[in-house]
Amino acid sequence: MIFRKILVNSAEAIVENKLRSALTMLGMIIGVMAVILLVSVGTGAKRYITSEFESLGTNVILIQPGKTDKKNSMGPPVASSKGKLTMADVEALQKNSQSLSAVSGVMFGAGVVKNESSTNNLNILGANDQFNRIFNMTIIEGNFFSREDEEAGRRVAVLGYTIKENLFGSGNALGKLVKVNESEHRVIGVIKPTGDKLGFNIDDMVFIPTKSSLRLFNTDRLFGIRATAKSRSGLDDAVKELTEVLKERHNGEEDFTIVTQVTMMESMNTILNMLTYALGAIAFISMLVGGIGIMNIMLVSVTERTREIGIRRAVGARRSDILKQFMIEAVVISVSGGLLGIFISLLITYTLYFFIPGFDMRPPFWIIPPSFFLSFFTGVIFGVWPARKAAHIQTIDALRYE
Amino acid sequence: MALIELKNIHKNFIMGEENIHALNAINLTINEGEFTSIVGTSGSGKSTLMNIIGLLDLPSLGTYDLDGINTTSMSDDDLSKYRNQKIGFVFQSFNLLPKASALKNVEMPMQYASAYNNKLTDEMIRKMALDTLEKVGLGSRIHHLPNELSGGQRQRVAIARALVNNPKILLADEPTGALDSKTSEEILQLFHDLNSQGVTVIIVTHDNNIAKRCRRILRMNDGVIKDEDNSGATR
Ligand SMILES: Nc1ncnc2c1ncn2[C@@H]1O[C@H](COP(=O)(O)OP(=O)(O)OP(=O)(O)O)[C@@H](O)[C@H]1O
Ligand SMILES: [Mg+2]
Repeated sequence: MIFRKILVNSAEAIVENKLRSALTMLGMIIGVMAVILLVSVGTGAKRYITSEFESLGTNVILIQPGKTDKKNSMGPPVASSKGKLTMADVEALQKNSQSLSAVSGVMFGAGVVKNESSTNNLNILGANDQFNRIFNMTIIEGNFFSREDEEAGRRVAVLGYTIKENLFGSGNALGKLVKVNESEHRVIGVIKPTGDKLGFNIDDMVFIPTKSSLRLFNTDRLFGIRATAKSRSGLDDAVKELTEVLKERHNGEEDFTIVTQVTMMESMNTILNMLTYALGAIAFISMLVGGIGIMNIMLVSVTERTREIGIRRAVGARRSDILKQFMIEAVVISVSGGLLGIFISLLITYTLYFFIPGFDMRPPFWIIPPSFFLSFFTGVIFGVWPARKAAHIQTIDALRYE
Repeated sequence: MALIELKNIHKNFIMGEENIHALNAINLTINEGEFTSIVGTSGSGKSTLMNIIGLLDLPSLGTYDLDGINTTSMSDDDLSKYRNQKIGFVFQSFNLLPKASALKNVEMPMQYASAYNNKLTDEMIRKMALDTLEKVGLGSRIHHLPNELSGGQRQRVAIARALVNNPKILLADEPTGALDSKTSEEILQLFHDLNSQGVTVIIVTHDNNIAKRCRRILRMNDGVIKDEDNSGATR
C-alpha cells in the first residue's frame, strides 16, 4: 500500500480516537513548549543582560590594583594590598597612550550627602572629567567636571538623579551647596536617570573629582582606573599598550588586573549559554516524557486493535504495511503535537510581548526547526517498538484475539 | 486442474503439557471451479483446515500447493500477496473494521492490492468497491458503519470485501452461522452464483441443508477427513 494511503488511514485512526490522540498529543505539546519557552527564557535573559551591558559604555577597560591568577573572572577583583594605582598612573596613561580615548582614576566609598532638607547614605564616586565619556553618561542640568575642577581638586559635585530629587525635589540644584561627608561641595551638574543596570545605579550616586575624593577619604590609593579604547577593534592593542605603560611605572611588575568589556561579556555569555543549555536539557527531559507517553499509548493502541491488525493481514497487508501504519500514526501524532506546541509557544510569548514590551521572551527563530524535528524524531523513536510489535503479531492469533 | 493440493498436512497446538493434534495427515485436492463444503463435529478441525487453506496459518508438517506453487516455504510477504490476490475469506463473525463504513471496509483489500498494481487509482478502487457492494445487494448501504447494519447485511459487506479483488478461491467458515435461514439461503445463493462464474468455493457449515447443495462434501472427524460424499445435488 502506498505511503499516501497509509497516511490517510493513520489520520482517520487518529480522528476516530479523538480523546486518546489528543491526550497523547498533549504530552508532545508540553514537551515542545517546554523546549521553546525555556530556550526563550535563556536567550531572552542573555539578550537583556547583553543590552544592559552594552549601554554601560562600549570598549570599556577596567584596571584594578592587584593580580589574580584566575583568567576571565567575571568582574574586577577586590582590591588587594599588593599593587597600588595612583593618580600618577592615570596621568601617565593619559599622556603616553595612543589607543585610549579616555582615562579616569576612580575612587569609591560609602558616604553621607546632606543639605537642610535631606540626608542620604550613598556611594560617593571620585572620577575625573573624562569619566562621563567612558560610561556614556548624559548630563541633563549643568555640566560634568572640567579639567580645572579635577586638577585643582575643587569641591564640586555632580548628582545622580534620585539624589538630586531627594535633596532639592523638583527645584533647581545648580550652584547649591551640599555636604559630602561634612565637606561642602557645590552642585555643578545632574545626570540623566538611567535606572538600575546590572545592580549598579548611577542615579543613587554622587560624583566628585578624583583629587577631591582622595582628599576626602584621606588616601593616595585609587580604587581603580577606568578607560575606554578608541575602537572595539583597537581594544586588544589598547590593553597591550596600557599594560606596558603601567608595568614600566611599576618596576616591571604586573601588579594590576585588566578586564575589558569584551572579556567580561565573554565570560557572561559563557554563563548565560550554560544557563540556556541547562534549560534546554530540562526541556529535553520533558520531550522524553512526551515520547514515552506516545509509546505507552501506541502500545495500548496496538493491543486494542489486535483484531484490526488480524483483519488487515488477512486481506493482504504485509508486515511492513502494518509497521508503516503504526509508525506513521505515532509520527503524525507527535508532529501535530509538535506543531501545536510551537504555535502555542509563539502565541504566548508574542501576546506577552505585545502587552508587556519590556518582557521580551520571544523565542529565537533558530529554535523552531529543531523543535519540529525533535517532535518528529520522538515520534519515530518511540513509535518503532509498538509498530514492530504490531507487525509481528501472527495473523491467526490476531484474528482469534478477543 | 488442481487448484489446492494438500499433502500429509498436520497441525499441532501445544497447550502447556498437552499436544493437540488438530489435523492429522490430511491429503486433499480441490480443482478449480469446485463447490465444496466441509462438515463435521465441533472441534474436528474444520476451521484449522480452512485457516491453512486460506494461508492465515501454517501447517506443522506437510506441503500445500496453491495454484501449482508450494506455499509452505513462502516468505511472509508472499503469503500476504497470495491472500490479497487469490483468496477471499469470509468469517462467521464477519470481522469488519467497526469504525469504517461498508465502502471503506470493501476498499481496504484493494488498497493493499495497489502495492502490486500501480495502475490502481483511488477512483478505480472506489468503483470496484461500489460495484461489488451492488453485486451483493448493498448498493444503498455503502456509508453505514457495521453496527448500523443487520447481521445479514454485515455478512454481505464481508463477502463483498472477499470478492472485491476477484479471488480464485472463496473460503467461508460458517458464513451463515449467525444468520436466520432466509438470509442464509440468500447468502448461499450468492455463493452459487459466484461459483457458476468460475470461483472455487469452500464453505464450512453445520447446516446439512447447505452441505447437501454442494457438489462435494468433506466430513471431518478428529482432524481427519473421514469420507467424501460426491453425490451432492447441483443447482
Ligand atoms: N490456537 C489454538 N490453540 C490451541 N488449540 C487450538 C487452537 N485452534 C484450534 N485448536 C484446537 O484444535 C481443534 C480443532 O479446532 P477447530 O477450531 O479447527 O474446530 P472446528 O471444527 O472449526 O470446530 P467448530 O465447529 O466448533 O468451529 C480443537 O480441539 C481446538 O481446541
Ligand atoms: Mg470452526
